[in-house]
Order: sequence, then structure tokens, then C-alpha cells
Amino acid sequence: MKRLRHLLEYAAVRTILFVVDLLPVRVAVVLANGLGNLAWLFMVRRRRVAIDNLTRAGFAPDAAAARRISRACFRHFVRVVVTSLKSDAHWHRVPWQQCVEWHVPPEVAALLDDPQQGVILASGHLGSWEVGAQVLSHRKPVLGITRKMNNPYVDRLMLARKPRHRFELTPKRDADLGRLVGALGSGKALAIMIDTHARERGMAVEFFGRPAMSHTAIALLHLVTKKPIVFGWCLEVAPMRFAFHATGPFRFAPSGDKQRDVRTILEHLNRELEAAVRSCPEQYMWGHRRWRVPSEPATAPS
Amino acid sequence: MERSEIIHRLRSIMARTATTQHDWERVGETDTIASLGIDSLAMLDFVYDIQQEFAVQFEAHELVGVSTVGQLATFLDARTTA
Repeated sequence: MKRLRHLLEYAAVRTILFVVDLLPVRVAVVLANGLGNLAWLFMVRRRRVAIDNLTRAGFAPDAAAARRISRACFRHFVRVVVTSLKSDAHWHRVPWQQCVEWHVPPEVAALLDDPQQGVILASGHLGSWEVGAQVLSHRKPVLGITRKMNNPYVDRLMLARKPRHRFELTPKRDADLGRLVGALGSGKALAIMIDTHARERGMAVEFFGRPAMSHTAIALLHLVTKKPIVFGWCLEVAPMRFAFHATGPFRFAPSGDKQRDVRTILEHLNRELEAAVRSCPEQYMWGHRRWRVPSEPATAPS
Repeated sequence: MERSEIIHRLRSIMARTATTQHDWERVGETDTIASLGIDSLAMLDFVYDIQQEFAVQFEAHELVGVSTVGQLATFLDARTTA
């Protein structure tokens, strides 16, 4: 039964990919916006989570604003998927350089353009993160860590489809230290999303004023490898046009107090992500349960 | 530093960072670090603690070929006597 469900899901995904591949960019974007509106209408639980998160983070002064921004977020999320799927074909017609503005400090630019220098790239679910990794890979090879999907057929399809140019993915479960450290040692950018829920092995660090369980790996990786951290994000400025932003590089020296060192780094990175989200809240993925803690379930009227 | 002292300290660090319980006094040079419940995240904790405990600085990629407790002791022995 489970296998049948997986096969049906796989067939649906293949069909969607086929349709998206056939459509011109403008039509695909219009379709994505429509699908986003439908998702906002029917995915009631996600919508409530998004509205609750927006309200608690102080982005929505009233219910109408929360609903408006959350709806924009849903549309944006579907566009992220569609533009990520279309980008490769699009850049065969229009050179990618014409589609990307760079807003990167000189020291970060020097690191990105140095083929010997490994960089830890911290980012979040803001803007077009998949396209961002793809764009960055034109300057420096990128290794991203991805979560294995529940459906093995779709997982294989996505692993075959997502990596492009010099952007590779490694499944989270296979992300052994040797591979990660080896990537940094060979001059790659190791991309880590800092805003995924870390469960019990994480550290509770404030994000928009509320404790959020955060993965400690990025901080420890920096402390043991001494590789600089760059915070990067890629905003969509128009259909198939993007602005890649970065701050840093950040370097922290170990003090001997591991917990304090890790907390300092994670707090710093969360402040960077907060500032980036403030610049464009409708492009952040508010629908994920970032502040999941047992005593505080997400509840809000829709 | 005596090799036995290095092994003793490593056992102590592993006991703090491993995700599974072991009779740490019985852990010997031929045991692989991965078999002792040191996954990739715990490994980062482990390397941080080694650098602090032994007051040695090294590039993390130098540990890529190190898989057993004995190999790690040899690596640290060379570093602390250098």
C-alpha cells in the first residue's frame, strides 16, 4: 500500500515536472502564483502556522496584514520551486550573469573567488535558496546538505534533478565529517540552512524574540575547521531575476567554553537571518514550525 | 605525554560526547571511533574537546584518515611531542 502511494506521488511529480518544463517562464510563474493561492486556501494548518509566526515575530500589526503576508509567502514558495526547476533551461537562453545582481562585501567576494578557500555558507529559507546555491556555484563549487524525502522514488528524482553546474547535494544521513571537512579543504562552499528545527540535540537560541531549537553543527564546524562563515541569501526581484546578498565573513575564536562559543555563533547568525528577513518578509518560509517546543504549540485563528 | 595517558583522556572525552553507552575502560586501541556512538555531529564535539583537552591546533581534515582510537592516539602523540 505504501509502495503504491509512493508510486502515485512519483507519477504526479513527474507529470508536474513535465508540464513545468514545457511552459514558458511567464506562464509558469503565473501558474505558480495561482497554485500558491490555492495552497494558502486549502492548507489550513500551514496557513495558521504562518499567520501565527508572522504575528508573533512582529511583522503583522493586525489579522489582515498577517493574512496578506502569509498569502504572499505561499505564492513565493511555489515560485521558488518553479523557478528552481526552470532556471537551468532559462539560463541556456539568457546568460545567468544578466539575471543576478551581487550585493557582496569585497572581503566575501575575495573568498568566493579564491579557488583554494573553503567557506561555510550559512543561509535560511528566505528568497530563492535553491537558485542562490546554483548561482553561487558559478563562482565557487557548493555542497549542500539535504534531508532525505520520505518517498524514495521522489527522493531519487530530486537528487538527480537539483544538482547543477557545480552545485552538489549530500544526503543528511551520509554527511559524515570527512566529507564535509574534505569539501571545505578543497575550496568548496558548504551550504547549511540554519533555520531548520533541531529537536532535542539542538540548542535553544532566540529567533525573533523566541527560543528556537537550532542545529549546533555549523558553529562546531567553524570552531574546529576555522573556516570563515559567510551569511548569504538570494532574493527574487522579478520573474527569473535575483539579487544575491552576503554579509561577513565571520570568524570566532574558541574560548574553551564550548556551550558559550556555540551559543555566540548561533545567536550571531540568527541576528543576520532576522535582518535579512526584515528586508523582505514575504519571501520567508513562515509556514514551517520553527519555534516548535513541547509547551508551546502553534495556534492562531486563520 | 605517555600513550596510556592519551588513551585515558580520549576515553573520558568519548564518554562525554558519544551517543551510546559503553564500558569505556574496556575501549582499546583497535576500537573504531564510529563504532563507539560518535556520529558526525558528536564528532564535531569530539574534535573541539580534543583540541581543548590536549591544547593542540590542527586542521580538522588531517583527521580524515583516522578511524581507530589507536590511530587517534598516535596522531595526538605526534602533535603533543612536536
